[in-house]
Amino acid sequence: MQAVILAAGEGKRVRPLTRSRPKAMIPVANHPIIEYVIEALLKNGIRDIIVVVGYRKEQVTRFLNQLDIPIDVVVQDKQLGTANALQCAELKIKGDFLLLPGDNYIDPQSVARIKGIPNAMLVKEHPNPSNFGVVQLQDGLVTSIIEKPEHAPSFMVSTGIYSLKKEFFSCIHGNDMTDAIASIVETGGHIQAIPADDWQDAIFAWDLLKMNRRLLGNLPSGKEGVVSRQTTIQGAVKIGKGSTIGPNTVITGPVVIGNDCIIGPNCCIQPNTSIGSRVSLEPFTYIGNTLVMDDTIIGSHSRVMDSVIGERCKLGDHTSSNKATGLLDIEGIVIRSEFGAILGDNVTSGPFSIYKNSIIGNNTIIESKNSVISRIIPDGSLVI
Amino acid sequence: MCGIVGYIGRREAAPLIVEGLKKLEYRGYDSFGVATLGKGIELAKHQGKISEQSSSTTCLNGKTGIGHTRWATHGIPNEVNAHPHLDCLGKIAVVHNGIIENYAELKRQLQSRGHTFRSETDTEVIVHLIEEEYKTRKDLLFAVQNVVPKLKGSYAILVIADGEERLIAARYASPLVIGVGDREFFAASDMTPILEYTERAMYMEDGDIASICKEKLEIFHNGKIVTRPIELIDWTVDDVKKGGFAHYMLKEIFEQPQAFYDTIRATNLDTLFGVVSRPSYITIVACGSSYHAGLIFKYLLEEACSIPARLEYASEFKYFPSPVEGIIIGISQSGETADTLAALKQAKSHNCRTLAITNVLGSTISRTADATLFMRAGPEISVAATKSFIAQMAVLMQIINQLSGRKCGDMLLHAHQAIEEVLLMDVSEAVTLCKSAQSIFYVGRGPFYPVSLEGALKMKEISYIHAEGYAAGELKHGPFALLSPKTPVIAICMPGETYGVMISNIKEMKARGAPVIGIGNEGDTELPEVVDIFIALPRTPPFVQVLTSLVVFQLLAYYTAVALGQDVDKPRNLAKSVTVE
Repeated sequence: MQAVILAAGEGKRVRPLTRSRPKAMIPVANHPIIEYVIEALLKNGIRDIIVVVGYRKEQVTRFLNQLDIPIDVVVQDKQLGTANALQCAELKIKGDFLLLPGDNYIDPQSVARIKGIPNAMLVKEHPNPSNFGVVQLQDGLVTSIIEKPEHAPSFMVSTGIYSLKKEFFSCIHGNDMTDAIASIVETGGHIQAIPADDWQDAIFAWDLLKMNRRLLGNLPSGKEGVVSRQTTIQGAVKIGKGSTIGPNTVITGPVVIGNDCIIGPNCCIQPNTSIGSRVSLEPFTYIGNTLVMDDTIIGSHSRVMDSVIGERCKLGDHTSSNKATGLLDIEGIVIRSEFGAILGDNVTSGPFSIYKNSIIGNNTIIESKNSVISRIIPDGSLVI
Repeated sequence: MCGIVGYIGRREAAPLIVEGLKKLEYRGYDSFGVATLGKGIELAKHQGKISEQSSSTTCLNGKTGIGHTRWATHGIPNEVNAHPHLDCLGKIAVVHNGIIENYAELKRQLQSRGHTFRSETDTEVIVHLIEEEYKTRKDLLFAVQNVVPKLKGSYAILVIADGEERLIAARYASPLVIGVGDREFFAASDMTPILEYTERAMYMEDGDIASICKEKLEIFHNGKIVTRPIELIDWTVDDVKKGGFAHYMLKEIFEQPQAFYDTIRATNLDTLFGVVSRPSYITIVACGSSYHAGLIFKYLLEEACSIPARLEYASEFKYFPSPVEGIIIGISQSGETADTLAALKQAKSHNCRTLAITNVLGSTISRTADATLFMRAGPEISVAATKSFIAQMAVLMQIINQLSGRKCGDMLLHAHQAIEEVLLMDVSEAVTLCKSAQSIFYVGRGPFYPVSLEGALKMKEISYIHAEGYAAGELKHGPFALLSPKTPVIAICMPGETYGVMISNIKEMKARGAPVIGIGNEGDTELPEVVDIFIALPRTPPFVQVLTSLVVFQLLAYYTAVALGQDVDKPRNLAKSVTVE
């Protein structure tokens, strides 16, 4: 069986994290989301995998190259929609195939449920159905599907994971999968709805924290690198090669730390934290429920909670980032959210900066003693 | 990256395995070897190219065999360290791809039990462990099943034993695929050696052990028989190697941040101290792109360390009297460049200390020079050097770091981030201008002069547009006559002492009607006013600016060549390494 993974779209709603990568490549628990999708397929013995790339295609391709198995890469030149992306792979499709979004987590068991059944989709209940294709079901069959309705008729949504036959290509009208499925349903075709077990989509950047919590749960412990004898480690903690953990550091799992990091001394890492490679946490820093990407430095005496920190950020000492609730305007829609900070790549912020419920664009410089509360700062800004 | 191939079936194994190894050449290798089940275990191992040594290898007898290409990481590349490895009695042969992390401990234990080790490799412990198990019960599968739990690290191994017409394969975290033919089976690191014979493939999972006989294939996982699905493969060999990129060159350009970081990490400052302990004088010999790397080195070195340096084309070196003091550095990606080798030999005969910088472990240059520093670029296939150039810069900059009393701090450890940043850039506007150009002039001052030379070399190499690099001040002494609206000028203009004079140079060129592409610093307000197209590089220290501007030039050359429809990876009339004078 073949599988097509869609990884061409940028994922505008998770900006500013998508500057150097599409959403599918955002690392969660230190692995790009698409890697979990590929893993779920491999666990089901599906090895003929085609990935459709587009936005930042070289970065995606380079990553796919590092994997153990060969992956077929197809380019979608313009990101017109999911059905259009699938059409880019049409020539490579030989028979029945699975279609999966590269930027959603899916567990292997759910893939096992759908893989043998042609013309089926995985569905799941979601508390905010309006962000998805909302489906209505009868006797296990889809009776209607509406893309992102304002008033959703049910809580059941399409996960974007389909099991299809080659003939499906002749049914594609329009650029989106929802349109194609809707037209099949309207003309009396059958699409089976199969419930998914564990499916996670991060619609907004702060949703990555939930996905991170979920995926850290699967984490096997393992310690490489140099861990001081005065370090206290509890729970599942994974520390990568070449990392040093200074004395009197307390790490409470689940926590993952990448390669060549310098942590502490005297740091405190609370549960549900993912730290990328070559990150340095300076002494007396407290961090928890946070996702830190590669090459970032967090200054001493900082407290960073419930935040997503991009690559190559330099946060000064006494940075404080704490959970707060607020309303933010994302792509024209005002949304209520609760988190500390979302920092893009290469953000430099001075000592004593305070973040509450704020999104800071890439390459932004924030001078010291600023406090940013419930705001979105665009890319390349200078805050004085 | 090492590669392995195994065969069992109705044909003669050796020629087939040698052909298979050739297909794995793209992974890079420095030595290779084959073992077959003929009259006992028959073995042939060689250092160097497969094509040159294949005759003595293909004449091995037997219809079962294993082979290996080695890209040395532990232990120098030579015939002894090449796989396959044999046990003490020469009855069992093993090839291995991966790294056994606990080999030192296992080796000690085995030696204390009386095993003799012939090589310095981690692999040899596997075969001695199997030997021990095999003594208690003459069942190769049983032996491998008992040995595998003792190994830590990654492995894909193939084992054969005298007197058993079968092949045992095991994998953990290293790739291994089994090709299923008609009463014959193949095993290899990837599908490339197999595709010629069958398109039916079976991928082994981590922890699987396969027992492969002529008629039958059984796979065991935790001692139980399991089945793995057979897949039909429909892609071609070339697809695999380019891994989804349109060209090798683009793939290699995007591998540069990793290549630079790995090389900086691998070029240990402490060992460097022994190799280059503040020489009075440095002479550098190199050809082509490596010469440009040497020239950048000369600029940066003299500025940072005040050590006089001299740079010569390797091919011209012999026409000068040989230096009598200091150290001679020879730079060659392949380590086989004939001119550079000759120059180093000549210097050595005058009792100069010699240092080689190369990408290939065990290449001729590393055996010629007194000491060798290796770059960690991995195999480079595209003729136009990209990641090997950046890795050369990493070694050279690390030398400067050492000689200047570690002035660079951890700047070099973060330089890969800036390269990554440049890879996000869009140079399409500049490409549109360049692709219709008659000639392109690259100009810069200071270390950006050799950067311009390299930029021009990349452009002419692959796009076939005539391009020349000049020191910006030299343009007025002649080449100015060539400027016209059809000859774009690409000028590097970074903040610093050369900024003001570069700006006035650019204005002069503009006045002659040439369109100018300016490469400058992010946030520069003056330069974008002066030039037609402005390309902004991230704000970084000068060393890193050199790297980022090099990468911009690579992208520019690549996309221009693609826009013109040229064969980027195999430019006409050129060879990857020049092994003749």
